[in-house]
Amino acid sequence: METDIVELVKDVGGLVTLPDVFIRINRLVEDPNSTVGDIAKAVSQDPSFTVRLLRVANSPLYGLSSTVDTVSKAVSIIGTSQIRNLALSTSVASAFEGLPNDLVSMENFWRHSLYCALAARILAKLARKCDVEAVFTAGLLHDIGELVIFNRLSAQAQEVLLLVLDNVDELPVYEAEWQIMGFDHAQVGGELARQWHLPPLLEECIAYHHDVPSARRYPRETAVVHIANILALMAEVDSLDPADVPPIDPLAWEVTDLDEELIESVVREVHAEIVEAENLFLGKA
Amino acid sequence: MAIDSASRPPLVLPGFEHIRRSWNSTHNVFAARLLPGEYYVTLRDEAVYTTLGSCISACIRDRVTGVGGMNHFMLPASADADGWKSTSLSAATRYGNFAMEHLINVILKNGGKRQNLEVKIFGGGRILANMTDVGQRNIEFVHDYIKTEGLRVVAEDVGSIHPRMVVYFPTTGEVKVKRLRSLHNNTIAEQEKKYISIIETKPVGGEIELF
Repeated sequence: METDIVELVKDVGGLVTLPDVFIRINRLVEDPNSTVGDIAKAVSQDPSFTVRLLRVANSPLYGLSSTVDTVSKAVSIIGTSQIRNLALSTSVASAFEGLPNDLVSMENFWRHSLYCALAARILAKLARKCDVEAVFTAGLLHDIGELVIFNRLSAQAQEVLLLVLDNVDELPVYEAEWQIMGFDHAQVGGELARQWHLPPLLEECIAYHHDVPSARRYPRETAVVHIANILALMAEVDSLDPADVPPIDPLAWEVTDLDEELIESVVREVHAEIVEAENLFLGKA
Repeated sequence: MAIDSASRPPLVLPGFEHIRRSWNSTHNVFAARLLPGEYYVTLRDEAVYTTLGSCISACIRDRVTGVGGMNHFMLPASADADGWKSTSLSAATRYGNFAMEHLINVILKNGGKRQNLEVKIFGGGRILANMTDVGQRNIEFVHDYIKTEGLRVVAEDVGSIHPRMVVYFPTTGEVKVKRLRSLHNNTIAEQEKKYISIIETKPVGGEIELF
């Protein structure tokens, strides 16, 4: 099964690639000898990312007190590793345009992902000791394995969705995937993150967002993404009733020291932020 | 005990043998699954469920005897929809009338009384952004039908952008509606499209049973 997943992900290698600007910034962030100036220069080489970066930095979502009008200012205020996350967050939706499918509209797919990212960011701030921006990016990427499955294994993916719809009882998509395919989208997404050499935090959050106990290195961040995913579903179906969505693993509350009582306020907050965030992250640059 | 009751679904009324039923552990009842174009009536303690995009389900029961059931239908495209199909509105509504009358007739045949009927309606969502609002047309039809027939609507959840799963318990009249995530939009729309292409190629039979 492991090899199946590896092969499946290798198959899409040529169809979906990370943008150059992310790869360059990633390399610089990992390089102890690089400077803030190097990173600012790498950013400036991509005009479309430069525009997005400045828009995000000046948005109420970031709440920075001063106006960020230059790339170097953005890099020094936001921080180099956060710039790397932003480069990924602002480009991932267009990266996956090469991997179309007939099962779900990309607009709906990325809206769910963005709901999850926004919820993860709010939860990470409340949980403390969590890398807020990394968790945002993890939320945005958590379901990328679905896009691989929808594109490469569309007949089985359709069977999975029919099986979910056929059940009066709540049958989570990942469990239906196990039944039909023997593996799930979280594993596929984790493998994609691994082959892309994404930071281990992202890989772990993506791979274990339905399997919190298996997260060893980043249990807090993974638990945050797990909760955020369920809250994203609540936001999406416009409900504040946990009975309308799959259950949250109690372990996730324990690991993050967060309280279930904040569900309602987080769902309300992501509702308030989604339009702005869609413009920033999914809109045309 | 539970295993025993789970092993045997309640007696099915004649004509509904083809409807798939399975044990549901959440509600501890057998549940009949409706696909677009199907309907189901029961006298027993069991559930009927379906998933709806732009289609409508009417849940109808006799509130005294508890006999009741559910249908799942939509109107085929009319001339004003996309232009390429030119089913006239009156021809289109015949499908709706059919679906409603079949359900009501079987309920009445099994001891239901017209004056005791209570109706709940669901569906008619606009789940695909780029389509004409066929859901709205279905809602308007069912509202008109209920008004003309002088029936009593006790609950409804129609319109909006979400697909729904509706679970109905005819003996008690209880309904559970769950909004489904957009991940399911295309799958549900595909099922409905398949059903529409069948009714569009099959002319409506002449014998509407009157009651």
